[in-house]
Amino acid sequence: MKKAIVVNHLIKNFESIEKGTGIRNSFLSMIHPKKRMINAVRDLSFNIQEGELVGFIGPNGAGKTTTLKILSGLLYPTSGFVSVLDYDPWEKSDHFLKQISAVFGQKNQLWWDLPAMESFELNKEIYEIPQKEFERNLEELVNLLDVSQLLQTQVRKLSLGQRMKMELIASLIYKPKVLFLDEPTIGLDLVAQQNLRDFIYQYNKKYNATIILTSHNMKDLVDLCRRVIVINDGELIYDGALEELTQKYAKDKLIKVKITGEVDIKKLEEIGEVKKLNFPEAVLSVPRETVAVAASEILQNFPISDLTIEELPIEDVIRMVFNQRKVFSENKA
Amino acid sequence: MSKYLQILKISFQQEFTYRLNFIMWRVRNVIQILVFFFLWSSVFAVQGSNYFGYNKEKIIAYAFLLILVRAIVMSSRSVDVAGIISNGELSNLLIKPVNFFKYWITRDVSSKTLNIIFSFFEIVILFLILRPNMFIQTNPLQILLFIASLLIAAFIFFCIAMLTSFVPFWIPEISWGAQFLVIVIFVEFLSGAFFPLDVFPKLIYEFLRFTPFPYLIFVPIKTYLGVENLSTTFGSLSIGLVWSLILWILMKRVWQKGLKIYEAVGR
Repeated sequence: MKKAIVVNHLIKNFESIEKGTGIRNSFLSMIHPKKRMINAVRDLSFNIQEGELVGFIGPNGAGKTTTLKILSGLLYPTSGFVSVLDYDPWEKSDHFLKQISAVFGQKNQLWWDLPAMESFELNKEIYEIPQKEFERNLEELVNLLDVSQLLQTQVRKLSLGQRMKMELIASLIYKPKVLFLDEPTIGLDLVAQQNLRDFIYQYNKKYNATIILTSHNMKDLVDLCRRVIVINDGELIYDGALEELTQKYAKDKLIKVKITGEVDIKKLEEIGEVKKLNFPEAVLSVPRETVAVAASEILQNFPISDLTIEELPIEDVIRMVFNQRKVFSENKA
Repeated sequence: MSKYLQILKISFQQEFTYRLNFIMWRVRNVIQILVFFFLWSSVFAVQGSNYFGYNKEKIIAYAFLLILVRAIVMSSRSVDVAGIISNGELSNLLIKPVNFFKYWITRDVSSKTLNIIFSFFEIVILFLILRPNMFIQTNPLQILLFIASLLIAAFIFFCIAMLTSFVPFWIPEISWGAQFLVIVIFVEFLSGAFFPLDVFPKLIYEFLRFTPFPYLIFVPIKTYLGVENLSTTFGSLSIGLVWSLILWILMKRVWQKGLKIYEAVGR
């Protein structure tokens, strides 16, 4: 398979001026600016194959958006190598730009004072989409996001969610081969979120499009991404299958039981940490290695009608990954 | 090409949604011309007087031409660029397969077209009200040179507007401050939009000739009036052309440098 995206030892530093709070500090910073180097991305490397749908995870300020901006040619890397579809994004060649799309949160490519349809028509010309194809794509997207009545409404009069949908249509109407989706479901209602997820899934399958998705909405990741890349403080901390992330970082598993009679909680706590007790249900957290032993012990010694063993929810795992990382880097310092 | 036509079309629609802004802008222009007109009418109140090589007919023609030349040279949308650089909206343009400079030239063309149409009506109305004795150029060569000088002027203005717009790459907070200083103070004052530049002492005037500013307003109007001999006119146009080239190269360089430190904030 072809590599669609290559990132090799990417580094991006920003220089920022600390303003300080209050009038006095603002004034002082004017006379004597305190400069500070921000290492947004430090030595990041990964490859993505054509047709892959990859989740990009990290806490706020981890460097996700910066990386996506470099991949779409907006930012100039401090050092390192990046290529997207064999193009250097920084060159911003028309051929490259026609094949990629970047949706950054609440960005605004729509013409604020005009109906969204005008912006779509403009994109039709800019991306040189044939009329027939344009109509077909538009219809598909409009139905999917359910905005057919809003096409002729001035953009400024749309709600945040409606505007977000229009932004998405404008970004996808030319059927890009590579998509950078930074928080695409932000501001959407639940139905639209689900529709969009389905659409991203189908889009990826149908056009063999390469997609990088960042989201703080775990449902987006679980539903869509087999592979995830986790970064924190601008460094890669995990790159692999989503399930393996759980196995690698979650030391515990959960045992869920349905209790049918009298149970001594103290005795249950000897087996594992009781996370939740909501009669008749109880949830225990047990080390991964001993989970089988613990389960059989519970079955033998307690009045129980049902028992299941589950992995920790992905939110918890990711929180653990981030926290672990913090402890690690604090120790390093 | 059709992509820029579509940009032109959407720009027009955008301009129309800001009707009130546009009308205010035109009112400002007309008032400026009226001030110019009345000031110089009183200077030339004595019949047959002649100052700085101007008689009453020519100075009135200067006033009327100001309306048209300002509309062609100085009306522009590219002054918005400073704002979009500082708030990060520039990103939307950068990830599209459009040429940044062609995009803004197109948007300027839409703004200029609209302003030219309006200025034409304003000239007719003012003409009917004031009924001045005005000098009308009939020599086709002078008119041709006038058109050439206008193109050079519009181009120089575009480059200056862009260059001042690029300041926020380095100082994001400044957005329109640099422009206000450069465009209003330097460009308006030194270009001849307030008074013909040859009223300055000769030394200052000679110095100004080697800056890009006179080529925005003063030189085109002078070319129309045909008050100088042809070789002087050609000389002026050549200096204007050289400035266009210098500013164009400078603008491209600064743009490339600016992009490298652009932070694409806020998205």
